[in-house]
Amino acid sequence: MAERVTLNDITKRFDETLAVDDISLRVEPGETVGLVGPSGCGKTTTLRTVAGFETPSEGEVLFDDEVVTNVPPEQRNVGLVFQSYALFDNMTVQENVEFGLRMRDVPKAERADRATEMLELLDIGGMGDRDPTTLSGGQQQRVGLARALAIEPRVLLLDEPMTGLDAKLKTRLQEEIGSLLEEIDVTSMYVTHDQAEAMVMCDRIAVMNDGRVEQVGTPAEIYERPANSFVADFVGTSNRLTATVENGTLDLGHAAVEAPTGAPEGDVTVVARPEAFTLNGGPVEATIEERFYLGEHVRATARTPDDRELTLRFDPERAPESREVTLSLDTDRVHLLRDP
Amino acid sequence: MSTPGADDATAVTGEVPDREPSRLGRLSARYGRSLVTALLLVTILFLIGPVLVTFIASFFENWTGILPSGGLTLRNWAQALGVAETVGASRGLGGFWTFVAPDVLFVLDLPLLPELTLFFPFDFYVQTPIPMALGFSVLLALLGVFINLLVGVPIAYAVTRYDFTGRRLMNTFAVLPIVPGIILGIAFLKTYPDLPSVIALVLGYSLLKIPYMVLAVQSSFESMDLRQMEESARSLGASWTTTFLRVIVPGAKQGIISGSIICWTLAAAEFNFSYVVYSSGPRPFSLFLFENISNNPFLRAAAAISIYFIIVAVVTALLNRLGENGFSVGGVR
Repeated sequence: MAERVTLNDITKRFDETLAVDDISLRVEPGETVGLVGPSGCGKTTTLRTVAGFETPSEGEVLFDDEVVTNVPPEQRNVGLVFQSYALFDNMTVQENVEFGLRMRDVPKAERADRATEMLELLDIGGMGDRDPTTLSGGQQQRVGLARALAIEPRVLLLDEPMTGLDAKLKTRLQEEIGSLLEEIDVTSMYVTHDQAEAMVMCDRIAVMNDGRVEQVGTPAEIYERPANSFVADFVGTSNRLTATVENGTLDLGHAAVEAPTGAPEGDVTVVARPEAFTLNGGPVEATIEERFYLGEHVRATARTPDDRELTLRFDPERAPESREVTLSLDTDRVHLLRDP
Repeated sequence: MSTPGADDATAVTGEVPDREPSRLGRLSARYGRSLVTALLLVTILFLIGPVLVTFIASFFENWTGILPSGGLTLRNWAQALGVAETVGASRGLGGFWTFVAPDVLFVLDLPLLPELTLFFPFDFYVQTPIPMALGFSVLLALLGVFINLLVGVPIAYAVTRYDFTGRRLMNTFAVLPIVPGIILGIAFLKTYPDLPSVIALVLGYSLLKIPYMVLAVQSSFESMDLRQMEESARSLGASWTTTFLRVIVPGAKQGIISGSIICWTLAAAEFNFSYVVYSSGPRPFSLFLFENISNNPFLRAAAAISIYFIIVAVVTALLNRLGENGFSVGGVR
């Protein structure tokens, strides 16, 4: 049965540096929560604290109702999957998957059955006798996952598991493993610097910055309603424009549009995704400075008359010919922040 | 603001100049490969040549010029192995050596009691069959390698895995014993004047050769992600000791094997240190060679060198087999 993982006010200091600053997070049974953020934001330290490789300076870690803060990693029963796969090259694939069971003195026959079952679950059945170094990166990561799952971990921790793979394989593996995590009953935490990956893989995402959690929410929540400009900036591409709301009008400086319903009066930051701008006719004027053809769409950077930079996205067939464009802003698709 | 695309247009219409390949480039393209091959062949020839001539000469009766002469014979080999009579003292590889134990075992010097001296009840002569005497040198070097492994692997691991104060110092220190054997030998004589030759030789060999072990094993460790491997194993339920012995050390087997081969080969042929430190007991191989080179029947030394090379080849092959069996072969990937 999947267990709930609770982090209560975790703080981790390394000498003078504060790696994790008072984090509280709850991962519900069977859920996959992503920890995303730029490098050095404390996401890996948080994961290592759950695994037992770091002891928090303050706070506690609970699996269900059991405090595990001081339980050594080898007794914590967590599954770990690493970016470097960390497979044991001196063992076959099968032996790798059986390793954790051997450490638990599971009888040989049972071990073999379980390993076979795991390999089949991960679609690499029949590779048991292979030497891990002869497998492709994607296959190696499947072995890593099979090995971690074979021990029926209380929580599965994945540390940038897809970072070393090429884009195409990554997409496929993300979908496959994403649905696998959905299917099997295991609580997981998924560390990545790639917000798009987290959006595919995770039920909820915790965006971290500078040792703190900035926002926790479903992928849609953090994309559509970022809590602050850091989240808005980190998750997806966004245009951030300072503006003023007055009498139901959103004044962008050089242009004014109708304010979204319920917008607070006063100074705000408008978070507008590129797709919130539509071409032609609108009040927003801009000069396109650069454009990038990306196949599915054309990305362009533009500048407004009052010197603000915009990132725009067009359908390749409808991309503007001229450099001067007029845009309308779909105010239902913007998010207003009252940042300090 | 400039008109868009103006820069692009000039860039497209501009003519791309022909690349002028330099003469050197052409030369190296044409002759590079054959030049390297030739160089390699010459080097191999110069390296292998003397060994090959030595090996062949060991079956001849005379070797005064560049090439051996006279009839073919097995006498040199027999003498080197000690199975044939040699002129003068037993200069075979050990021959029938005689090991004389020290008659005073130890002296207990307690302040109140009368001096207590323990004597060996009898003189201890052992006559060893020849292959055993030959094996003595092999064994000495092997013991040295054993110590190298015990000390070198943990050092290599610590230096690669952990960032600790003094890491750099330790790294340097591990390489420091690349001091000439003669200097270490003199230091040994001064520091431990009463150490039996056997122990002094083994200790010296391991001290002298440890840098090679550390460097070889370290390069293996560096190609592994030690931290992630270790943490994987521990999360799977292995204790630190189990992790080290069953995951980390086997993972570095390539380096351990090559380190062992290097250390053994170098220790078995170490002359300077052996010459300074050796005082009694079975003679190390290098000293036997030296005596036979400085004395006239050089052909016996030729046979002995051939024996040495055969041993090296066999040991290397065995260790390599060990590396391939049950282990994956790393390297090419």
